[in-house]
Amino acid sequence: MSDFVIETRALSKRYGSKLALDHLDLQIPRGRIHAIVGANGAGKSTLFRILLGFLPPTAGEARILGRDSGCLTPDDRARIGFVNEEHTLPGWMPVSAVIAMHRRQYRRWNEAAFASVLGHYHVLPEQKVGQLSRGERAGFNLALALAQGPELLVLDEPTLGLDVVAKRAFLESLMYSNASEDCTVIYCSHQMDEIERVADNLIILERGQLKNMSAPEDFCARVTYWVADIPFKGPDQQLVPGLLQVQRIDGLHHYVVIDQDEDFGEFLRAHGARSVQSMPVSLDRAVNGFLAKNHAAPAAA
Amino acid sequence: MARSQALMIEIATGDPRPISKQIADGVRMKIATGELQLGVQLPSVRGLAMQLTINPNTVAKAYAELTSEGWLEARQGLGLFVAPPRQRLSAHERDKRFDEAVSRFVHDVVALDIAADEVIARIDVELQAFATKKTA
Repeated sequence: MSDFVIETRALSKRYGSKLALDHLDLQIPRGRIHAIVGANGAGKSTLFRILLGFLPPTAGEARILGRDSGCLTPDDRARIGFVNEEHTLPGWMPVSAVIAMHRRQYRRWNEAAFASVLGHYHVLPEQKVGQLSRGERAGFNLALALAQGPELLVLDEPTLGLDVVAKRAFLESLMYSNASEDCTVIYCSHQMDEIERVADNLIILERGQLKNMSAPEDFCARVTYWVADIPFKGPDQQLVPGLLQVQRIDGLHHYVVIDQDEDFGEFLRAHGARSVQSMPVSLDRAVNGFLAKNHAAPAAA
Repeated sequence: MARSQALMIEIATGDPRPISKQIADGVRMKIATGELQLGVQLPSVRGLAMQLTINPNTVAKAYAELTSEGWLEARQGLGLFVAPPRQRLSAHERDKRFDEAVSRFVHDVVALDIAADEVIARIDVELQAFATKKTA
């Protein structure tokens, strides 16, 4: 059995002239909770579509649970749970019919797990899926995915639009339910507070490439915030090592930089800083700074 | 069966300190102030994770740090307990932290414009309270 639940080699996907995935080499080990973050259009959803065999790659290889994504069998699919952000389920079907269908199709169906997750939501068997609220559909979808007893659970922005109580119930089901033990979770989200609580591993994608793979706090420790009092103009931005973001606020230069130690203070002093201060940053700020560097922005005025 | 004592701590996401560090800091503070006394059992890893809605691995990491620093001790099959006190910091580290704490305090208090003897009297009362807690 492969040690990686997800493995891609030089995986590329091109939409017209735009590269959604750019020779992506990604290996996600079995076990634990892995968060994937990236700006809009970083290629996360494309990656999942290819991995699950819904979309052919332009080039390269994609394997999920050791199998080629292009030829997954129904048995392989039973080992993978997928909750997408739209929570797509047939809207015309009553809840009870959807449950019956899943019970029939998944051999490892776990009724106790299903009930323990769905119990957090007020969902009636006779209701049609189309009549459920977004949060109820999210809970229903997660309950279905966990009850199939998956080895791998892929969640694409699962808590988007959930109220605080539903969100908490969702996270609790994910982290403490017996059904999620022995299950590798891939968690795609833009919400750093959630990632901080949930993730063992932080994967950052940018423009279809892998940019980081480490524990969230290790990534956070790479990023620091510096404020320097530099009269007149600061150093040319091209020269600033590890620069992620720079702002001039009330005459002071504020820098967010990556992989810099105390020498960065020397660098600032060498460029005329009269005083230099530094501090660590939160995960939110670290990821924000990192993604902001190459984020799309209108051309400078 | 011995019940673990509730651990009244909060964590904040968006803090520059990772969550595991916030937990370790919180527990250290509670032991130092005597709120968690020698021999008291801590919540289980899973229990504290559920209380704080965080990944259990994060709690395990904080507990491992506290155990390796000697604040907590594991008893086989029973869980984690507050360990007997010993000098947990080097003399140098202790002096450094003391200097930092005093300078933080002085900066805050100076701005309030309160007479020095009033400040000292109040500090004395607060410290006395901890002294009785510790021996109680």
